[in-house]
Amino acid sequence: MNSLGDGPQVEAITVVLVEDDAPTLWRLQDALAKAGYQVKAAGTLTEARACLAEGAPRVLLTDLQLPDGHGVDLIRETRRRYPDTEIMVISILGDEESVISAITVGATGYLLKDAFPTDIAATVRDLVAGHSPISASIARFIVRRTQNSVEPPPGPPLNTTKLTPREIDILWGIAKGFSYAEIAGHLGLSRQTVPGHIKSIYRKLEVHTRGEAVFEAVQQGLIKL
Amino acid sequence: MTEASASPVLSGRQWRVSRIIQYALLQALIAALCVLGLLQSLPQPPTDYRITSFALIEGGSERAVTLPKFTAPHYAIENSPRFITQFVRTPAEASRAWSVFLPRFTNGVEVSVNGVVIQDSRRDPAANRPDRNTPQIADIPAPLLRDGANDLAIRLFVWGPIPGFLDRVWVGPDEVLRPYYDLRTMLFVTLPVVFSAWQAILAVILGIMWMMRRHEPAYGVLAAAMAVGFLQAFLQTPMGETPLSRVNAIVISSAPIESALVLTFTLLLAGLRWQRWWLLFFMPGIVLALGGAIAGQAAARALFPVLAVPMVGLSLLIMAIVSARSALRERNVASFLLGCAVTIMLTCWVVDLLSVFQVVPNRIFTARLSYSAMLVAIGAGLTWRFARALNQVDGFAGRLVAQVREAEDKLKASFAREEERARAAALARERARLMRDLHDGLGGQLVSIVALSERGNGSADIGDAARAALKDLRLVIDSMDDIGGDLMLALGSWRERAMAQLRPHGIALDWQIASAQGLPVHPELRPWHVIQIVRILDEALTNAVKHAHAHRITVRIETIAGEDGVERGCISVADDGKGFVLAADGGGAAGSKAARGLRNMQDRAARCGAELGLSSGAGGTEVKLQLPHRFPDSDAATG
Repeated sequence: MNSLGDGPQVEAITVVLVEDDAPTLWRLQDALAKAGYQVKAAGTLTEARACLAEGAPRVLLTDLQLPDGHGVDLIRETRRRYPDTEIMVISILGDEESVISAITVGATGYLLKDAFPTDIAATVRDLVAGHSPISASIARFIVRRTQNSVEPPPGPPLNTTKLTPREIDILWGIAKGFSYAEIAGHLGLSRQTVPGHIKSIYRKLEVHTRGEAVFEAVQQGLIKL
Repeated sequence: MTEASASPVLSGRQWRVSRIIQYALLQALIAALCVLGLLQSLPQPPTDYRITSFALIEGGSERAVTLPKFTAPHYAIENSPRFITQFVRTPAEASRAWSVFLPRFTNGVEVSVNGVVIQDSRRDPAANRPDRNTPQIADIPAPLLRDGANDLAIRLFVWGPIPGFLDRVWVGPDEVLRPYYDLRTMLFVTLPVVFSAWQAILAVILGIMWMMRRHEPAYGVLAAAMAVGFLQAFLQTPMGETPLSRVNAIVISSAPIESALVLTFTLLLAGLRWQRWWLLFFMPGIVLALGGAIAGQAAARALFPVLAVPMVGLSLLIMAIVSARSALRERNVASFLLGCAVTIMLTCWVVDLLSVFQVVPNRIFTARLSYSAMLVAIGAGLTWRFARALNQVDGFAGRLVAQVREAEDKLKASFAREEERARAAALARERARLMRDLHDGLGGQLVSIVALSERGNGSADIGDAARAALKDLRLVIDSMDDIGGDLMLALGSWRERAMAQLRPHGIALDWQIASAQGLPVHPELRPWHVIQIVRILDEALTNAVKHAHAHRITVRIETIAGEDGVERGCISVADDGKGFVLAADGGGAAGSKAARGLRNMQDRAARCGAELGLSSGAGGTEVKLQLPHRFPDSDAATG
């Protein structure tokens, strides 16, 4: 996240970009193409499915509100079909409502639509390198969910029961604006292990199957049998 | 006791045996003390006036006897034995009134001095009860007395059921004898009346208790016992044969009924449940009553020693055993006390029996007196227990009131919490709705503007303005999130936005959190406070980027304890730019726009109750925001 400027020359990493707003699509495509990524652009869910049918991309960047459907469905399908594809949501406001529902089906973080081209490229590069970005507001949303167990706050359902106390501590650090190094220092961890913990958090928040989703919803009291 | 831990089974039995022995020894001690007390004779008048040598005329024959004297258990009235003697009154005593004092006799006496009858005890109803130890004193009219020898004749009427008896007789000055008479009257006449009155009162109290608490029959049984005891104490032995006298006789011979009632009470008190066969206890009493009703009082009198006396003894024995068992097994304190009382009564009963069988030369009956005393004690104890139970109920009610009040307070607190939560939930829902609206509308359009401006369709300024608008939109939405009063959570998001803003300009952000917990938590923190604070920080950041040409911006977050000991949060934004000279009015010299910006920051700080400090020099500019100890509820300085 923090790295600035163009990275070293990358091999043709494929990125599928799904965005219905044409100007936004162009600027994202430009930013990524300039950074050396091989970008396949799609404006609708149908086009996106056609692109994905050709083979697994390394990265999928998708908007959620699409003219012919919802990005969450696309993320879920892709996650099942290509488990190794890194998926990120393109969001206008980075609001947790849409981002969290994407995270629970397999997305890793979000990219703001008005981000600077260099930031766009850097984010995708970090993602490919295995670093899962998590924003302070998303971390805040998750940790607030771990607190309010009596009544689930409004917003998408989220199962935080699998998170370990250490992972929750890390999320608190991120929510309060601490850097990875500071969090590692506070918790007595090595700085390099923090991204791994974050990846683990993403995996634990993901609801894998429909059956499991129902099971977890029952466990959390979201569904009454 | 030390062996208890070694072998629990054996020592358990040993322990029980030791307890039984202890109990038995205690009862034996009580009995011994009781006998000792009974052996103590009552104070007697001076022996100078005592007369023990009499001539007894019985069935036409005369013989010399010494009092006290037992006779046969029954004589016809006309054949009543006569005791004749002489006593001397010296002339020196002539000025004093003289009396004849008869401390104890059975059943009635007629006293004559010098051939004149001066007293007939049969006219005194209280004296006719053979179970009472009623004394008699007869004033000798002064004209009857002669100086020197005088004749004294005592006719003893004996009508059963026990042998007649005449204790020693005193003849002397009334003032000498009367105190002894009064003492006996008080002990054997007045005291039983007092006890009977107590019994009557307790009968009423216990009866009412039983009426109100039917599931505790012990009260009712004891009330019945008291009522029977009271009735029989106030009835006199009839001298003639009348229809009413039969009822009277039944009631007087009700002792077996009474003892059966007290026995039932003891069994109930020991925790046993009523059994139908307990009715057998009442059989002797019923037989006696029927006998009295059908065959007259003579029959009742004849049956009394056969039925009533053994029944009383049997009841006492069963009571002793049951009380001992209950006291030892269940450690029932009431049963223990009752057991002790029964031992006293049993001892008195045995001594009375010995007296009846003339084993001891004495005829003071104490069983009845001890029984009355015990009954009064039991009644008082039960009433005390009842009052204590009422107190406990009162205490319980008091505790209940306190608990209800406590629960009410808790409920209020929880209601307030619930309200707070509902408010937070409403805010979150509103935020989600607003977010969706902004996301779908304004947000998308602003993003399009950014994208279009970058493609050359507009100027870079338009793009920057659109970006700034998006940033502000995110700030507003972010501030509405419930952060539970922890400003650090708002600053976390702000750090991300600040870094995104500074990155294109190549300015480094140095983020320092000086205190361990960052900033104090403010439960009263509201979204509008957060917006004001974040806007101040944004303004400081923008100034540093646009005007100071800084390379590094340092944000320092700390909690500072003031002179008053109150902890306040402090956020400072410092740059290493070129700085500016402060004008006298606090505004900057970098132009009217910058001055307006600074004034804006100060206004915002004032609204939140925060203090804004500004220092600028060659080394850069520092904006220092000192947070209040408590954020104001309403907008303090609007406009």
